[in-house]
Amino acid sequence: MKSQPTKIEKRIRVAGILLIAGLLVELVTLRWSHPTAFLFFLLLGGALMALGIAIYLLSLVSAENKPSVE
Amino acid sequence: MIGNTTILMAVILFSIVLIALLVMRPSITATRGGKILAFVSLLIFPALAGGMGVNQHIEHSKTTNFCLSCHVMEDYGKSLRVDDRSFVPATHFQYNLVPREKACYTCHTDYTMYGDVKSKLRGLKHVYAYYIGKPSQPIKLYQPYNNRECLHCHLGARTFEESEAHTKDPQALSRMKLNQLGCSTSGCHNIIHNIGQLKEATFWKEQGK
Repeated sequence: MKSQPTKIEKRIRVAGILLIAGLLVELVTLRWSHPTAFLFFLLLGGALMALGIAIYLLSLVSAENKPSVE
Repeated sequence: MIGNTTILMAVILFSIVLIALLVMRPSITATRGGKILAFVSLLIFPALAGGMGVNQHIEHSKTTNFCLSCHVMEDYGKSLRVDDRSFVPATHFQYNLVPREKACYTCHTDYTMYGDVKSKLRGLKHVYAYYIGKPSQPIKLYQPYNNRECLHCHLGARTFEESEAHTKDPQALSRMKLNQLGCSTSGCHNIIHNIGQLKEATFWKEQGK
């Protein structure tokens, strides 16, 4: 039986999906020679990546700090 | 030689593969190695790819192709190929006095995102006008052309400093250097893009193209 993903795992998954989307936007805009490409990269790609990184960092600081069992 | 774009593409694709691994198996972050992998692939690599992307886009936006990719700029691109030495931009372009691949940026260094905040806002306005509004015709510079753009190459050059036309009036050179006497507005180098004359113009055909 598969165990349910923890809160951190869910956040890492969301962060990862956002980052992949942002990186794909960057990849597409790099092949597109037009001023709009720069705006797409900055406003869409940048926002997705910033959000992804922010969610990942949030998952780190909000992680439950369970004491290790000796 | 491997170009910057290729390296950036590789960084992006490598990042995507690493992140996809984490998305499919987020449970690996429970281990020490998994935590390091998450840190590298969710923070270090995307930040690196983003930074390199900004740099690549900025470098690309300085190219002539980039400027001429907007329909409204087509005639200005054509004016670079007019077969007439009195056309200042055409002479600079055809005689390699400016790098051809960065011809626009070399002479318009304070344009849109390379200028101050006002210029950057104008750049956004251009995008709005291009897609939603209507670009003003003919296109005009917001400010009179600054001699600074000419002087960053011509200043100190013998052809500029010792030219008879420049030295006839002893005050002329210093006034040009202070942008009080415009190179393009004083009646000497005043044939610039002149896109209204393109219909009658003949064009230079580059060898091998």
